[in-house]
Amino acid sequence: MQARKWFVFVFVVSSLILSSCGGGGAAGNNKIATFIFTQEFDTLNPLYTNMWFASITFQIWNCWAWNFDDQNNPVPVLVKEMPSMQNGGISADGRVITMKLRDDIVWSDGQKITSEDFKFTFDMNINPKNAVATTFPYDKIKSIETPDAQTVVMTFDEPYAAWMGTLWHGILPAHILQPVFEKEGTLDNAEWNHAPTVGCGPFVFKEWESGSFARFVANNKYWLGKPKLGEIFIRFVPDDAAQIAALVNGEGDLGTFFANSDVPTLEGAGVQVYRVYSGYNEGVYFFLHPEKSHPAVRDVRVRKAIVMAIDRASFAKQVLLDLTKPAVTDWDNMLYVDPSLQPYPYDPEAAKKLLDEAGWQDSNGDGVRDKDGVELVLKYGTTTREVRKNMQAVAQEQLAQVGIKVELYNYPSDQFFAGYDEGGPAAHGDLDMFEYSATPQFPDPDVADWLCNNIPSDENPSGSNWSAICDPELDALFQLQATQVDFAARQQTFYKITKYIYDQVYWFGLWQDPDLWGVNKRLVNVKLSGATPFFNIAEWDLVK
Amino acid sequence: MTRYIIRRVLQAIPLLFLISIALFVLMQNVGDPLATMGGRTVTRAADRERLTRQLGLDKPVYLQYLYWLVGNDWTKVDLDGDGVSETPGTRKGVLRGDFGMSLVKRGVPATVVIWERLPNTLLLMLTAEVVIVLGALAIGIYSALRQYSLLDNLMTAASFVGFSMPIFFIALAVIYIFSVYFKRWGLPYLPAGGMFDPQVGKTPWQVALHMVLPVTSISVISLATYSRYIRSTMLEVLGQDYIRTARSKGLPKRDIVFVHALKNASLPIVTVIGLDLPLLLGGAVVTERIFAWPGMGRLFLDHLERGDTSVVMGILMLIAVAVVLFQLLTDIAYAWLDPRIRYQ
Repeated sequence: MQARKWFVFVFVVSSLILSSCGGGGAAGNNKIATFIFTQEFDTLNPLYTNMWFASITFQIWNCWAWNFDDQNNPVPVLVKEMPSMQNGGISADGRVITMKLRDDIVWSDGQKITSEDFKFTFDMNINPKNAVATTFPYDKIKSIETPDAQTVVMTFDEPYAAWMGTLWHGILPAHILQPVFEKEGTLDNAEWNHAPTVGCGPFVFKEWESGSFARFVANNKYWLGKPKLGEIFIRFVPDDAAQIAALVNGEGDLGTFFANSDVPTLEGAGVQVYRVYSGYNEGVYFFLHPEKSHPAVRDVRVRKAIVMAIDRASFAKQVLLDLTKPAVTDWDNMLYVDPSLQPYPYDPEAAKKLLDEAGWQDSNGDGVRDKDGVELVLKYGTTTREVRKNMQAVAQEQLAQVGIKVELYNYPSDQFFAGYDEGGPAAHGDLDMFEYSATPQFPDPDVADWLCNNIPSDENPSGSNWSAICDPELDALFQLQATQVDFAARQQTFYKITKYIYDQVYWFGLWQDPDLWGVNKRLVNVKLSGATPFFNIAEWDLVK
Repeated sequence: MTRYIIRRVLQAIPLLFLISIALFVLMQNVGDPLATMGGRTVTRAADRERLTRQLGLDKPVYLQYLYWLVGNDWTKVDLDGDGVSETPGTRKGVLRGDFGMSLVKRGVPATVVIWERLPNTLLLMLTAEVVIVLGALAIGIYSALRQYSLLDNLMTAASFVGFSMPIFFIALAVIYIFSVYFKRWGLPYLPAGGMFDPQVGKTPWQVALHMVLPVTSISVISLATYSRYIRSTMLEVLGQDYIRTARSKGLPKRDIVFVHALKNASLPIVTVIGLDLPLLLGGAVVTERIFAWPGMGRLFLDHLERGDTSVVMGILMLIAVAVVLFQLLTDIAYAWLDPRIRYQ
């Protein structure tokens, strides 16, 4: 009996010691900022992940060629200046982009960052031996030349307007990874992917313990100045309520991805809440296939009546705690929206008139409008997210008041967002109205969801134009913007696009859906950007 | 006994084989490993097609299972999508100790991913199990000896309260009480989550401190179950003739309770513990999630959601092997506790 007691005691003590042997040591007066992430990153190799929680760390330990500031303006990091037609960085035909690199940029081990690192990153991305997360947008580049160590020349088949928002989101150290690729024939299993001890950000990777934490310490060789913080400690806390508790009791200095309903609790505890727009605008799409759609929604007057019958402003105020407002376009809070556009007002009487004009009246007295024997009954679907279900319930009640009956459908996210070939309800045209929010390559506005050649079908099962809209005028505008490398010209095209979609009510916004960040007051100098949240992290500091 | 053990081990082999087939087929219907690879946007069709091929997900399920079991280094695979299999496979298969690479933690062997978490889970769960068993023994024996006393009634009521509360409620309640509000009230407080304070470092004391709340949460519910179980079996044994004989012989009460009664009352308790122990390897999904404890429960859930067959199968097979092993150990414990039991 005594021996067993000793066995248990020794086991527990040795487990305790074994568990605490993973490192994670910190010391003395080092300024350590603790971030709370609700998801753990999958890998730290920029080519192998698009996961948001992974990619936002690149401003900490890796580097983009340029960041975006809190106004979404580009800020050069590795390049001397942003390429443009004016400085000769973009050719007259828009097909060649030349980047001039700074001559003081170095990896954290002191090795110079050169054009060879860019060429290597490109080569690794498109090499089929590497199972990278996406080959976009590098598969748009025809060739890359490196005439000298500080010059990178990219040639495209067609002018590529979205280059600034999509290219060079992290680069690879060729001097570390080239030998790995030559030896193993792939980067899939490189140790650097999970322990990138050589980086180019203001901090250097130190340690990552699965499921628990990751540490990044100050990079003394960072060319834009040594960071004020000594260490970034990222703790993975998957539970939302536990994250809030950690922010409230001061165990976390920064957290994100919490609900609007948590904001009063956080603000009550002195946590500053930042609303950062990253391209998400919750809205409703109509299924407008010329043959398969409901005849009512093909009429723009009916679509306009629907948006005017829903009190979106009150929903934002009461349900979303007045922390946001109705979205006007799918590109709200970007530089590409026609500034004259305003949200459609809530006006049920005007909605009724529009429906009358369109010929939809309640001829059989059942409380639901009809026309030519077809009842105005619409299927409205979305995911099971609570706030979306609340919106559906409100819309159902308010639309009933103008004589439109709405049947509600909710699906788990993986089912709702499934593609045409997987039987997704939105992709398949099973819903007359479907609600979600998506972001383009923020802050770039380019999307392919409105193109005629992107309508899903048996022949094109991967099509992402789930609205099945083929409007030649709109299609031409989208095709044009994709090739306009000149910002001003492209902006004007997008003004037309946003106005056109607004007038035709091909989509209507419910609310703007910014990222919420909670920052404890002891963490100062914090600015957050929608595209590169930690763009000025070298300036962040801790005060008592 | 040796022959019995060898026979049981041999019987387990086809059983584990059948379990692996069933679990592998079920895994094909859980999660989509490619769905989240697009980040905040839907994975592009071209990337989906390429990754499906490169990760071997385009193969029929029987072939995927075969590769998982025996590897694919005896054949070639098509990486560039030209329809020609040109690259030799590299997987060795489970039978040669290769559980494959994780699809979530790309490029890391599933065994490494699991092994990183196993000590944390064992530390948390075994500590909780020790607290539960010792606490339940104390409560159960006391309640049996002092049946219907005030303390027995109080502990019975407390057991039912503990048993009725969902674990997430207990976990969040103790966080807010002992971490958030204690700090707000200026009292000594406990950490809300994680394994250590980064300002101090990962010392044994820090880990122990961070274990207090999760161990408490796990223990509350199981303590109620176990103590009720021990109470009822002890009551049954204490009413037996041989206990009355022991009393009439004038044996000390301590010997009667702990040597004669408890040992015989232990058989059903050993069964319950034997069933529970292998499941400890699976960790405590909810508790680990709420307290940000990096254990197997969280690992299982995170990787299941993203269809990471290699890691999920590794965890499930580990648990399956442990169940078989602990059932065998339970049978051996029976024979030790009750000499009348003999295995042929």
